[in-house]
Parts: sequence; C-alpha cells; structure tokens
Amino acid sequence: MPSASRRTSRAILSRFDELSAAIGRLSVSDLETRGALRTGVLGLIDRVPAKEARACVSLRLVAEALRPDRDRGQRQPALHQAALSLLEAVRAYLASPKAGDRLSAIEGRERSTIAIMRNLPEASPALKPRTSDLIGLTERRPRSVVARAESLPALALPNDTDRSLLGDFCDEAFEYIESAEAALLVLEREPDNGEAAQTVMRAFHSIKGTAGFLKLDGLVARAHHGESLLGERRSRDGFAGRIAALSLRALDALRDTVKNLDASRDGEPLAYPSGFLGVLRELEDIDAEPGTSAAGPTGPRGATSASTARDSGATHSARVRLDRLDALVDAVGELVVAHWMIAQDPAAGRDHPELARKVAHAGKLVRDLHDMGMGLRMVPLRGTCNKLVRLARDLAHRAGKQVDCRVDGEMTELDRNMVELVADPLMHMVRNAIDHGIEPPDERQAHGKPAAGSLTLRATQMNGQVVVALSDDGRGLQRDRILERARARGLVHPGEVPSDADMLDLIFAPGLSTAEQVTDVSGRGVGMDVVRRNIQALHGRVDIQSTPGQGTTITLRVPLTLAITDGMLVRVGDERYIVPTTNVVVSFRPDRGALFTVGGRGEMVRLRHDVLPLVRLHRLLDVDGASEDPTAALLMVVGAGDRRCALLVDAILGQQQVVAKPVTAGAGHVPGISGAAILGDGRVGLILDVPQVLDLARRAQPNTQAVA
Amino acid sequence: MTAAPGKYLTFFLGAEEYGMEILAVHEIIGVLPITRVPRTPPFVRGVINLRGRVISILDLRRKFDLPAVEPGPTSCIIVVAAHAAHVGLLVDRVSEVADIAAGDIEQPPPLGAGVQTDYLVGIAKSAARVRLLLDIARVIDAGDLAAAGPDGGAPTAA
Repeated sequence: MPSASRRTSRAILSRFDELSAAIGRLSVSDLETRGALRTGVLGLIDRVPAKEARACVSLRLVAEALRPDRDRGQRQPALHQAALSLLEAVRAYLASPKAGDRLSAIEGRERSTIAIMRNLPEASPALKPRTSDLIGLTERRPRSVVARAESLPALALPNDTDRSLLGDFCDEAFEYIESAEAALLVLEREPDNGEAAQTVMRAFHSIKGTAGFLKLDGLVARAHHGESLLGERRSRDGFAGRIAALSLRALDALRDTVKNLDASRDGEPLAYPSGFLGVLRELEDIDAEPGTSAAGPTGPRGATSASTARDSGATHSARVRLDRLDALVDAVGELVVAHWMIAQDPAAGRDHPELARKVAHAGKLVRDLHDMGMGLRMVPLRGTCNKLVRLARDLAHRAGKQVDCRVDGEMTELDRNMVELVADPLMHMVRNAIDHGIEPPDERQAHGKPAAGSLTLRATQMNGQVVVALSDDGRGLQRDRILERARARGLVHPGEVPSDADMLDLIFAPGLSTAEQVTDVSGRGVGMDVVRRNIQALHGRVDIQSTPGQGTTITLRVPLTLAITDGMLVRVGDERYIVPTTNVVVSFRPDRGALFTVGGRGEMVRLRHDVLPLVRLHRLLDVDGASEDPTAALLMVVGAGDRRCALLVDAILGQQQVVAKPVTAGAGHVPGISGAAILGDGRVGLILDVPQVLDLARRAQPNTQAVA
Repeated sequence: MTAAPGKYLTFFLGAEEYGMEILAVHEIIGVLPITRVPRTPPFVRGVINLRGRVISILDLRRKFDLPAVEPGPTSCIIVVAAHAAHVGLLVDRVSEVADIAAGDIEQPPPLGAGVQTDYLVGIAKSAARVRLLLDIARVIDAGDLAAAGPDGGAPTAA
C-alpha cells in the first residue's frame, strides 16, 4: 500500500495541534471548556481515515479522560497531562504510521492514562490496554444490533422469483463466501492485511446487494447485520483472534442460509439455519467476555498469504454451466475422431495430395481446439486448499493443538472432476496429521519443538501429473505401534520383521489405525487404505515418508485429468483393449525356455531376474480366437503398487491418448474394466483396470503369488 | 401396477409384439458395431458409441429368455432413458406408435412359477393383435444388473 494514501491530511493534523494546545491550557475547574474539547476530540475520530482503527480507539480514550461529568479529583491534572501526551502520540503516529515504534508509544501512554483513570499504580506492566477495556470505559452500548436482528423479516422467496437467477445467485454467493473464508484465514495471521479485510466486507456487501435485487429480504437483513457488526468490530479492534473466529461462524451461517435457498429451488421447504442470531449475539457481546481479545487463540494461525492479493488481479471470467462445458469437450473429442477418420481415408490421402494438405491443416486446428477444450475444465486447487486450511484450523481448535498451515502452489490446475475426487483423501490426510501427527503444545515443547506444529500443503505439476504433498512436523509414524497392530491383525507373522518401507506400507492395510483414542475426528478404523484406494482409482499413487519425531510427508500423484488416458492399444482375439501406459512396465516375446509352471497349473515367466505370473488375458476376459502360444504372441508386463504380472496379448496396435468415459447402467460395474473410450474407427474400446485385473488373476490362479 | 393408457412404441421380438411407453424412448437407431464387455450377464450385448457417448446395449431376446439370433437388417436399437442414463435395447423390428385406450388394457395373467413377469404390466388387445406392455424401468433394473456380474470384490490393498 503506498504510504501516501495512509498519510493523514495536513488539515486533520493541524486540528490535532489546536486541540493539544487547548488541552495544555485547560484548567481543572473549567468543565465547560473540557466538554467542548471532548467534543472536539470525538469530532476528530470521524475525520481520521477509517482504516486507522487503532488511532480511533486511542482518541476515544482521550475523550474519556476529558469527560466533564466525571471528576477524578486530584488525579484530574495528571489525567489532562496523560490525555495530552496520548493525543500527541496519536498525531505522530498518524503523520507517519510506518515510523518506528510509534504504535508502542501510543500503547504506553494509553497504559498510563488508564492507570490514572482507575487509580492504579502507574503503568503496571500487567495493565495491557485492551480495546475491550477502552470501549467499556468510553462508551455506552449502542442500541443492540441483535435486538434489531431478532425482528428480521422471515426468509421467504417472493412469488415471482426467477429460479435460474436464484441458482446463479447461490453459486455466486458460495464463491463470495469462499473468498471471504480464505481472507479471514489470512487475517488470523495478519490482522493488518487491509486487502483481506476488504474482501471479507465485500462478500457480505455483495451478497446483500444481489439478494436485494432478488427481493430476498430475509437474506438482505442477515447479510446487512453481519456486515454492520463486522464493520463496527473491525473499526475498533481489527480482525484479531476471536473476531475472526466469529466471523468465520457468521460466514458459515450465511452459507447455510444460501444452501437452504439453493435447496428450496428443488421444492425443499425454506428453513432457517439455526445459529445465525447466536453468532451475531456473540459478536456483539465480545467485549463482555473477559480476556478474549487479548488471549492468544489456540489453533492454527495461518493460511495462504497471497491468495487474496491475487483475487484482485484475477482475469475476467464467465460463468458457464458445467453440463454445457462437458458437452463441448465431448463434442470436440468426437471431432478429433471424425477428423482422424477423414485423414485415414485413402481418398483424402495419397490420391489427392492437395486435399491431404488441407486435411492436415484442419487437423492442426482440431488438435488446438482439443487442447483448449481440455483446458476449459482445468481449475486451480485453491478452493480445495482453502477448505483444508479451514478444516485444519477447526480440528486443531477442537484438539487443543496449535498448527501453522502453509499452502504452496495453490494455483496448480487440475481437471475439475479430479479436484473433487482428490479433496476427500486430502481431508482424510489433514485429519490424520492433526489428530495423530502433530503433538499437543506441551509435548512438542518437551521435545524442543515450537509449540505450534506446522502443516504444509504443496502442490506442483510435473510430467503431466499433479503432485500434492502434505507434510507435518509431528511425531512421525510410530513403527513399533504399527507393527504391534499389524501383528494383532495377523498382517505380519510373529517374529517377522518387515523392512522399513514395508512397515510404512502397512498403514495402507484396511482397519489399521494406531490412534490411541477413537475420536470423532479420525480413528474410525478406516483410513489410509481408503485414501490409497481412492487415489488408485484415479490412476494415481500414494507415497509416504516418515521420520520418527520429525514428521510425516504423504505425497499424492494423480494425472492432470481423468478425461484423457494415455494408453497402449492391444489386440486380444477379435477384441481391442486399452492398457493405461502408467501401468505398463515392459513388453516382450518370451523364449520357450523362460516359461514354466508351478504345481502343474500356475504359469510363470522369467524375465531377467524376475519371475512373473503369466496371465492369459483372453481367458480372464473370455475372448475367443486369441493366440494361445506366448512365444508367438506378446507378453505385456503390467504393474500396480508392488504387484506385477505378464499379460498375454496378441499384439500391440499402438499407443494413443483416449478420452475415458464411464461405462454406465446396463453393464454396471465391470470388474477389470475402468471405463471405455471411442477408438479411431469410431468403435468403443474398453480400458483395463490393471489393479483389478491383478486381483482377478490372483483369484483365477490361487496358487501363484504376484511377485515384485 | 397396471399399464396406463396412452401412446406406446411397439416392437417385435420374434413373433411377439411388445409395447413401451413412448415417453421413455429417446431415439431409435440402426445397429452399430457393439463392443462386447467381459464378465457381464449374457443379455448385456456390450457397449456402443452413440455420438460420443458410451451406452450399454441389452439384448431383449436374451433378457426374456427367447432364442438368441444375430441382428438382421430390420434389427434396431431403441435408446431409452432409465435410471439417469441411456440404455439401448436391441429388438428385432420396430413396429409403430400405437394409441392404447384404457379399455384395451388387461392385467397380465399369472404365468406360473419361474417365469419372471414383474416388468410385464399389461396386455393390450385390439382387433387381432395382442401386445405385451412393458415397464421399461423394471426391464432395466440397475441394481439387478450390477449384482448380476461376477463378484468384483473390493480391491485389496497391495
């Protein structure tokens, strides 16, 4: 922020000087002049820029010291002196707010002033001027906002509401609420961040404005009261600690209201969320509660610091319905295929070179269009990151822990559909980190760590994949406890000591939770196994690193989009299947000597030093007419996790990117098949789900073990 | 539940004429190349590419335990909307759109144990014709289909 805009105008400063001079001349008995000077000081408050909330509080204290209807007897001359020096300190601060320790000078003088007012020993260090004290000293409570809010108009839809407009409004409101939430999390860390404060106020204001346009009087009233209360609090205290927490709850209440509105479009009765008035009341009564504003809140203090700053620089955007976007992307996908068919046609190829050139040119445009279409669905992870920070904050509050959250790379983009699918596993990981990873503050300090744990979420894009890593600096995975649990559950034989990597891998086993207590937060016996399964379903993988006493990092790797799968097209008999390239290790044609059987039926193949189970894909998928002789066909080694096997296929037809589509109703869920794609000739090809194929193979050949 | 009067699309499976409510019909297309889907019940023919959308094709002959035949020149796929998705039904021949009056509809007779008739919701008799009226949502019972495949099982953690 440029300092020029903060600098208080010369006229106001000279008014300060006038008042200072008058206070210096003031005699103790001259109550009339004192009253006039008090009015003058109060008048200054209105002229000081609104963002100088701190200065306004001090000026209130000056005014209070000059109150003519309260005589503090022998202390009054000292009080005049204190008021004078406080007024001068405020002036110095306003003249150049950036200069050094002027704010602390103000605080020191406030302390003296309050000490005199309360007849306390001079400037006891315990006497930290609390804004709540100042307000309590100086003000009669304004007419209760809550009393006003209690008579709010009912939340009702006007009869002529345009439902689609209402839907747009709800979407927009959710966005405002989300950005305000992010800004509040920033404010918890940086209470002076004016821009973030503006974002919060703007959210309430904008919702109020649009709601007014839609004649949603109940909502207008709520947003208005939220805005005005927050505004009042902010001008006194800034968005410190408890106010931010309450503001978050006010936002939640507003979000619930909008949710109910959204649901009412589908005919749900329009109910009022409870709790909104409660939050308002707490906001109003915040001063009445002892010690709240000064006490350091437990819980995370952090959030992304740059997010709100970027909001203002955001490019313009248009709102498009998702189904239209999907339809567009689908149509472009079809165009790619249709174009491919034309390009393959001999009539357009070697017979007519001129036409071939035009077709090739069209092909380039089609590919560009395809890339752009895919780009349309990419959205930044920011929304998810904000939710996670909020979750971490709330969980830590509940668990009585302190956590500093940092987010890195929140603008990393991912397919919209993927964003929703990675959010759940990430939330689970955050829960685990707060609940099991990060220690309570005293335990941390006993180990020589800072009381506040740190939780870092880092997202990057790498080689067509998005990598999201969640790190905490907690106690790390407790290997002895994992082993104990795993033995109790029969996952590890007694006496067997797994390698460190295997040990960490055990936490992905179903039902293995090492939490000492089952809380409502986590520890329900489902955990990392679900995370891994969800991520594998996205063709991604989960890795874990953990150092005892130093923390844990869990890394998710998922493809940018589920819509496009990079695949190898293989032929099996008359059928063609797509094997995701991420699962393909190597393909080879074996010698007869490399093939052998185990127990007369389990077929195996040796590849260099590995021995792999041989899986006849055509038998697994019940395809006729496929080659039976591996030495005349091809073995494709596929892997998922640590498991591998060699699939017998007739031939590899090529590598291509395909648009993955779900196989819907009718075929239901088909084991071994993750989806379908339109191939170049317009027919449908099925995409193999390699982990499931491995499972099917293991069940078909129970006496063979998948070997690494 | 008895079939409601109204417009019905009628079609043939062998010599039998069936009817389904026209509102359920999305479109009628010729037979496109069908990709077989492994490990599905026999009446699931496979999937086709319907203008970029992958939809499943059910063979109504197999579904109703009629002798299976390969699609011929009059064979059609009736695309219907059911259970929030589109499904194609392979039939021998599409006949007509018939207006069926309430007075023509009779309750289906009980057909003895072992014959599955819950999707048969009425019999329409007119002039010399008998049409079997189907509740298409019951023909395409999503839950039934999902359970009909071999147990997929939950993938175990590696």
